[in-house]
Amino acid sequence: MEPTTELAEVAGFPVDLARAYDPQTHLWVLDQGGGRLRVGLDALGVETSGTLAAVAFIGGGTELARGEPFGSLEAAKFVGPFLAPVAGRLTAVNDAVLADPSLVERDPYGAGWLVEFDTTGFEAPGTLVAGRDAVNAWFAATVEDYRIKGLVAE
Amino acid sequence: MCDFGRVSARRSQTLWHALAHGVSAGAPPTLSFMRPARPYVGLGYHRPAAEVDLAWCREAGLPVYRRKAGGGVVYLDDAQLFFQITVPATSLPAARGAALRHLLAPAVAAWRAAGVDARLDPAGEVVVGEIPALGIKVCGHAAAQIGGAVVVVGNLIERFDHDAAARVLALPPDARAEAARLMRRFVAATPADAATFQSAAVAAYGEALGLEVVPGHMSSDERRHLAHLDVHFGTARWLAGPVAGRPLPAARTVKIRAGVFVVTAEAAAARLMAGVVGDKVERAVLSAPEWNGTAGPLAAGLEGLSLSEARSRLAGAGAAGAGLADALAGLRLTAA
Repeated sequence: MEPTTELAEVAGFPVDLARAYDPQTHLWVLDQGGGRLRVGLDALGVETSGTLAAVAFIGGGTELARGEPFGSLEAAKFVGPFLAPVAGRLTAVNDAVLADPSLVERDPYGAGWLVEFDTTGFEAPGTLVAGRDAVNAWFAATVEDYRIKGLVAE
Repeated sequence: MCDFGRVSARRSQTLWHALAHGVSAGAPPTLSFMRPARPYVGLGYHRPAAEVDLAWCREAGLPVYRRKAGGGVVYLDDAQLFFQITVPATSLPAARGAALRHLLAPAVAAWRAAGVDARLDPAGEVVVGEIPALGIKVCGHAAAQIGGAVVVVGNLIERFDHDAAARVLALPPDARAEAARLMRRFVAATPADAATFQSAAVAAYGEALGLEVVPGHMSSDERRHLAHLDVHFGTARWLAGPVAGRPLPAARTVKIRAGVFVVTAEAAAARLMAGVVGDKVERAVLSAPEWNGTAGPLAAGLEGLSLSEARSRLAGAGAAGAGLADALAGLRLTAA
């Protein structure tokens, strides 16, 4: 069953306040039960990446510590890593975004999800921003900071 | 600053990847220069190796190396001076476009100091020429985050072999000829003296980063990593890359510069080749058995249209046109 998405607008960007977020990578994390977490790029991550030309993921089954790369993305001829926001075993990748990276831009909280991890037996995620008020405050402050720095449009 | 001078083709890739490893591990920001002693072909990180005419390259003695940075298939030779600026990722703006501009701006200053009226255009290309959005590209650039370091690579083109650059592409002859035609128009060598450019780049990057630039050398850790990369970059697995096994799409592009592409599409026995300049189809060739005698006028009718308009026109041109329109539906004209 596909997860439900309840988008709020925060500082002009869509945000699902019910998800957890890694502030370092702008990846969202959605608990799907049974230790399974789905991961995708949040709207600010999409905005600051630019038009995505390509994404790639490492092989399913790989065990990763938090902060290790689980794939890569390319925008504006700039290749960067996707860094795992949690420790776990990579159990699924979204083939649809491999074929069409624009899905990440068009539907970052839905069809544009990236990968899933099974975190059973791994260390619990510790530094994610979670909870509606905390997510709202963190996202709004980050957008404000980026606007002051001229990184996103007013 | 590390000036490696003339190095082997493989080393002209592995050296800067090793420097990025070093900066990621705490080495200071590093500006490096090198030129390959022999011609070879470079392949962007996410591009299928099948985009290179590997058989022809093998026969011509041209090695092919994948890089960790983005972009497409490029031809490199000793008439191009390559520079790389490598800095900690934490020192850069969080937006990729802003980070790229930050690290390319000193190179533009160096061109200007060397007498070339270069500028960064809105798409982030280093260009010369009168047309604001479609200047002539004088620097091929790409970037990568490798560990905790970001490296931007670029080149000063003293001479550019447009025919060789087009020949290494795995394209049908008409598409390759179109690529060569557009390269001649939109990619150019500059008259800048390489030594003058290099001195100016050292000064400009030092000023931009607020650092005194001093001659340096690779650390023992970087040398160890270099030895590893020298082997790794020669493996079939590295050449296959992260997209190994993915088929080439039915429609694809070869980017000449931002906004200038050669598009090829196939659907059953139908085929399209188009040169696209500034979102307009400038030249088109169509073929399909069902268009016997009418393909020429149909192709001519695409010229001057945007690619999306051309797609709509094709969608109404029988089964062959509908197939090509479907193939074009998944195409994105990105900066890569």
